[in-house]
Amino acid sequence: MGQVLGYTVMLLRAYARDRTAVFFGFLFPLLFMVLFGVLNFGGSVSVDLGIVDEAKNDQSASLIATLSKIETFKIDNGERDAELAKLKAGDRDLVLVIPNDFRMAPARAGSSVPALTLYRSSARPEQGAVGSAILNSLIDQMSFAVTQTAPVVSIKSEEVTGRNLKYVDFLTPGILGMTIMQLGISSVAFAFVAERTRGVIRRVMATPIPRRNYMAAHVLQRLILAVVQVLILLAVAVLAFKVTIVGGLGALLMVALLGAVVFLCLGFAVTGLLTTENQAAVATQIVTLPQMFLSGVFFSRDAVPAFLKPVADYLPLTFLNDALRAIATTGATLGDVSAQIIGLLVWAVVSFILAYRLFRLD
Amino acid sequence: MPIVSVREIRKSYGQIKAVDGVSFDVDEREIFALLGPNGAGKTTTVEILEGLRSADSGTAMVAGVDVRKDPSGVKERIGVQLQQSAFPENFLAREIVELFALFYRKKVDSMAILKSVGLEDKAKQKQDKLSGGQRQRLSIAVALVNEPRVLFLDEPTTGLDPQARRNLWELVRAIRARGTTVFLTTHYLDEAEALCDRVAIMDAGRIVALDSPAALIEALLKRGFRKPVVQQQANLDDVFLDVTGHALRED
Repeated sequence: MGQVLGYTVMLLRAYARDRTAVFFGFLFPLLFMVLFGVLNFGGSVSVDLGIVDEAKNDQSASLIATLSKIETFKIDNGERDAELAKLKAGDRDLVLVIPNDFRMAPARAGSSVPALTLYRSSARPEQGAVGSAILNSLIDQMSFAVTQTAPVVSIKSEEVTGRNLKYVDFLTPGILGMTIMQLGISSVAFAFVAERTRGVIRRVMATPIPRRNYMAAHVLQRLILAVVQVLILLAVAVLAFKVTIVGGLGALLMVALLGAVVFLCLGFAVTGLLTTENQAAVATQIVTLPQMFLSGVFFSRDAVPAFLKPVADYLPLTFLNDALRAIATTGATLGDVSAQIIGLLVWAVVSFILAYRLFRLD
Repeated sequence: MPIVSVREIRKSYGQIKAVDGVSFDVDEREIFALLGPNGAGKTTTVEILEGLRSADSGTAMVAGVDVRKDPSGVKERIGVQLQQSAFPENFLAREIVELFALFYRKKVDSMAILKSVGLEDKAKQKQDKLSGGQRQRLSIAVALVNEPRVLFLDEPTTGLDPQARRNLWELVRAIRARGTTVFLTTHYLDEAEALCDRVAIMDAGRIVALDSPAALIEALLKRGFRKPVVQQQANLDDVFLDVTGHALRED
């Protein structure tokens, strides 16, 4: 154990001296955040929300009043047909229909629950995703408030108004996921292919260090790096971009670590198939590039074409991003993202088996 | 009691018999060289002795350990310098020594070890910024961290300039003087002649001659061999060193 920890410390020290690695590990993701956070989508995302109030009672009025306090929404009221036409024309991002049986009372057993209907425009997926995320969390909190004995709707809704989801809020968890993926795949592929071709590993294997200790130190070093990367990116996001992280840091780190394990295993599996550094450059792109675009790093996955959805939904980065985003933007707990965690666990098992079968030190 | 004892080892790669029944002994405190053209099986033989490859048959004892039964026991007791190997990047020279000490679970005085190979003033330099000769000396320093009983050097002077080569010979002699057996391979016959107590010449996987350089030369002369021209009193090597001096260069 002392040998593993000692080696891990030495690897981290050498890493800190490697300018290229530090650039791609830390500055590169920050650059992305700056690029997308400042240049492209500075400030808040504005969501054009059309409301069709078919109930026209006190409670629907109170819901609309709460919604209008949320800065992100630019609200228009209208009739169903007119609003839906505007949605199609691109004048609305979302249209919310409040049914005529709408009430904000706890549902009695046997009685039907009034359903709010939300229409989204596929033309502007980010706005749609941001808006529906806000609406969902608002409605969750309101129904929670309503089932309480005391009417605490107003207090809860004030909290919601403070949380006005900006694009960087949406972007940050995506950048975290992307960084974890890059660390797992690229840091393993490039480092091990290079050390294998240069004869570094051969030299180490001429000493009595057990292979499992050697591997353990390399894995541990990268897991530590993943945590440090996540913490630094989060710190910059919160301090420089005023990103709001709603959920718990612990939950975020747990999911990030699980993601790091998945991508490290995948990295080792891929590296097992490679012999030259040129192959490594191609292979890491093949593995990471599709996930950058299909797994919701920069934009909502709603933008993914329908025929790719069955694939996109099961990519490891999709599970990771969805879980990180749910925790960061809606305050989900680990239990709330159990589906994504199970997805990641399945990937971890599969990629570990692949890594175990494919990866060779010599 | 020889410190390295090899009996009838064989190793084939498909149809190619890389090592085809090799036997020899190396005595303690000897400087012993394995010579031979490329592809003769030198490196395969050395790697079998180092516990890096397993022989198909035959036995090899190194420092009292059966290489086939306990390869990691052999690795504990020997120091190695491999052909075509490298150290990890972004480590300082001193850290490389400490890193390898850690691999042997040994606590070492890394500065003292660097000093013993004349690299004390390069301790804080990145290892990949060292010159060829310095890197070979670092590589020997690393091979000494576990105080080995046998030091294996695979072509230690390939690619070095004449000054660095002679500097390395001095280092090898100093290491032997401290009681370590040195087993090396080389392509330079003048090196073997100047440095080694005994040499084994390998060809096509077999040992074709084994004795001290002087005895081998004498035996050749006894067989009636004569050089067509009389040996010069000096050669180009001597000229080169005379005009450029013995001082070590930085590359």
